[in-house]
Amino acid sequence: MEHKETVESANEDLVVRMVGITKVYPNGIAANQKVDFSVRRGEIHALMGENGSGKSTLMKVLFGLEQPTEGEIYINGEKAVLPSPTAAIAKGVGMVHQHFMLVPSLTVAENIVLGMPPTKAGVFIDYKAAVKRTREFSERYNLPVDPMAKVMDIPVGMKQKVEILKALVRGAKILILDEPTAVLTTQETAELFHELKHLKEQGYTIVFISHKLNEIKELTDRLTIMRDGKSMGVYDTAAISEEEISRLMVGREVSLELEKPKAEPGKTVLKVRKLCYTNEWDKRMLEDVSFSVREGEILGVAGIEGNGQRELVDILFNFRKPQSGTAEVEGVSLIRLSQRKIREQGVSMIPEDRMTYGIADKGSIEENVLSDRISKKRFNWGPLFRVKRMYAESDRLIKDFKIKCKSRKQQVMMLSGGNIQKVVVARELSCSPRLIIADQPTRGIDVGATEFIRNKLVELSRAGAAVLLVSADINEVLMLSDSLIVMNGGKVAAYFEDAGILNDVMLGEYMLGLKHHDKETIAKACHEEAMPEVSNE
Amino acid sequence: MNKFWQNLKSILVKDRRMMMFSIIRGLAAILIALGVGAIFIFLTIYINTDDKSQTFSKGLEALKYMLIGPLFTTKAGVVSFNTMNFYQILAAMIPTIFTGLAVCVMFSANQFNLAGEGVCMTGGFVAALCGIYLSTGTALDPFICIIVAAVVGGVIMLIPAFLKVKIGASEMVTTLMLNYVLMYLILHFLNFNFADRSKGSTQTYAFAESARIPALVEGGSKLNWGFVVALVFVVIIALFMFRTRWGYSIRMIGINQSFSQYSGMKVGSAIVLSQVIGGVLSGIGGGIEVLGRYSTFLWKELPGYGWTGVTIAILAKNNPIFVPFAALFMAYLNKGCMLMSTYCDIPSEMIDIIQAAIFLFFAAEQFLSKYRQKLVVKSAKEELAHIAKGGAENA
Repeated sequence: MEHKETVESANEDLVVRMVGITKVYPNGIAANQKVDFSVRRGEIHALMGENGSGKSTLMKVLFGLEQPTEGEIYINGEKAVLPSPTAAIAKGVGMVHQHFMLVPSLTVAENIVLGMPPTKAGVFIDYKAAVKRTREFSERYNLPVDPMAKVMDIPVGMKQKVEILKALVRGAKILILDEPTAVLTTQETAELFHELKHLKEQGYTIVFISHKLNEIKELTDRLTIMRDGKSMGVYDTAAISEEEISRLMVGREVSLELEKPKAEPGKTVLKVRKLCYTNEWDKRMLEDVSFSVREGEILGVAGIEGNGQRELVDILFNFRKPQSGTAEVEGVSLIRLSQRKIREQGVSMIPEDRMTYGIADKGSIEENVLSDRISKKRFNWGPLFRVKRMYAESDRLIKDFKIKCKSRKQQVMMLSGGNIQKVVVARELSCSPRLIIADQPTRGIDVGATEFIRNKLVELSRAGAAVLLVSADINEVLMLSDSLIVMNGGKVAAYFEDAGILNDVMLGEYMLGLKHHDKETIAKACHEEAMPEVSNE
Repeated sequence: MNKFWQNLKSILVKDRRMMMFSIIRGLAAILIALGVGAIFIFLTIYINTDDKSQTFSKGLEALKYMLIGPLFTTKAGVVSFNTMNFYQILAAMIPTIFTGLAVCVMFSANQFNLAGEGVCMTGGFVAALCGIYLSTGTALDPFICIIVAAVVGGVIMLIPAFLKVKIGASEMVTTLMLNYVLMYLILHFLNFNFADRSKGSTQTYAFAESARIPALVEGGSKLNWGFVVALVFVVIIALFMFRTRWGYSIRMIGINQSFSQYSGMKVGSAIVLSQVIGGVLSGIGGGIEVLGRYSTFLWKELPGYGWTGVTIAILAKNNPIFVPFAALFMAYLNKGCMLMSTYCDIPSEMIDIIQAAIFLFFAAEQFLSKYRQKLVVKSAKEELAHIAKGGAENA
């Protein structure tokens, strides 16, 4: 069978060919199962699939970050063994990761020549030469960047260009882009596509990982679809319909349309006023941020990452302390309150970084799902645990939140990403919270879990909880929010009383800072009649 | 129902496989370590004997003393069980069970506190002083002495714990230093305040007869009731770690401190608590050892039980239940090496070489990881096959 394939593929100019790739991770998850994958020279090839379908793993294998358990890789027709990214780069494979691998405190030019700097007399780093080389590449590939700017000061879109340039400077002919548009606005995405097409014209091969149908249709020549660690086949992009792609990816008809009854906001639960925060590098991250969240509504916080959303959430849960301003839940200030006290106020949080804050990876599901209530009276009998009640509660949560696991004793790190997030959500949403802070609640998890978590958030908000939803996913914000604020440069740039009137292009303009609302409109986010701070000016 | 059993079976098969792996890995580490030890034994003999042809037989002789000597004696070809040695081994476990438990608790909270050594010595010293000066002459004496030793141990550990929590000083550094501070303080007081001048060597007066911990078996084995107390503490600490909210906090902080804080646990208190418990246990260990084995306090250097405790905790993977087994292993090995050095001209430092080798292979995360990966792949494939078979239920 494999012989036949070789004969067929000999006619094509295949730059990458991966045969029968199987990858089993040390935690027992088989992320790839006998996957075949090939890319023609000079094409833009989409690798599609839901989160957790194994597409990132496959690309990590190709980039030498992971070693396949079984299978072979051919690059330019030669069998390649890729024990490390260095080996992959030597073969002309470059990768741009979803999370940028840049040093924030260094300049763009320094980042680009990192590890291979031009030197004077073989010892001193020739910074001028580095800047010159950056300019050269930047012009040749039509990827405009500012070589002298520090990476922490440049926008996300430019960071991405720096990453691409980094790969090109190292001699990559095959570029792997891992969900490059996940952090970009609609406008930035259009710009990126233009640049990628330009690269294609110059003979580069691009593997584009994504699960966004419209992007794939616009940009790519062919596509490979993955599901549950297996390849579902290779197709010409022009010859396959979006419905068909969607069906192959998900394996069933999914409507990510959400049924959401109209919000009936009650009294204010969270009241944030004039919050200011300057970070440890003296960068102003929050400036006079004021808004309120009322019971029964979902307030979305939209914005490109790095515009103060993380700092806002951290302050609300006392992981950072603001220089000035207030944040109150039903009259009680959250500032400088211990996390235990914050939780006692009925605040729960789904953290953005679930592996750092959300779970103890070596602990069992039971230990994780009960971590906020373990010292409650109902689980303790004198000094000892009431083990049976704990078993019952954790089993109930596992069932209610549909956590797929073998038993409550299973280690959390053995679960898939979506199920790990369900563990977090099960804990945070089952403690009858007054305020739910959901920070990127569905990032990087499968559709099923996403759908489930979104529905839960709506359900709880309609039952009277106040929900603050922070998300970089424009579609998510639009779908879930009742009202919406946009953050740009640490300020509230816009407030929409009714998020239903928005679409992604409009929202993108506000997120990029091309448009903003006037003070009166923004002040409405506080839901207060008297606005002395506005009228004074 | 049938499906349920099948699922259960598959879980058990996978877990059993991983458990077997842990056991095999541990045994392999011990075997390799003994192998390394054997190489050194043969080398030593080769260098020290004039008749090189004897090397092999002498080496085997030495190994025999080390491996089976602790429990069996051969006299004129007759192998017999050596009860005395057996009791001595059990007696040697008493202090190291306590220090092992102490290290388990502290390491579980990710606190690399190494002051068990110094605190153990202090516990012994304090217990001895109580036995001399606070004796009531009743059967309560040992309890009073041990409780005082425990309290002092706990209080001492407050120092590194607060330094860690309040000013972020690494407990590893402060406790390593603390050991020597404690040792020289004790030596100072022993020399200048409490020494019995009528004796040839530096030691305290004998403590009251009533303060001594009674022997468990007759004879000079030194096996005393402290052994039973140690086993009781194994159960108490196991319950504490796995069945109380404080033990839970300690373990979760050890896994992920950010998570614990975010979940609303009192991280600082748990860090302090873990080290205080470690101090209490080490103090008790030292106290029981001195009151059970000697009639006067005569340690003039760190006793070494704290270090052995670290080895034991690592062998036991910080699980209190495994501590007695690890302590038994260490005591057995120690006894074997002592016999070997007595009868075969091998330096008793050999135990340090073997210990270090065991350490190395236990601590090395990647040791046998390829074998583990193979097992994981096998399990995953079985699981996939199982799903493929019963695939209908998901569709």
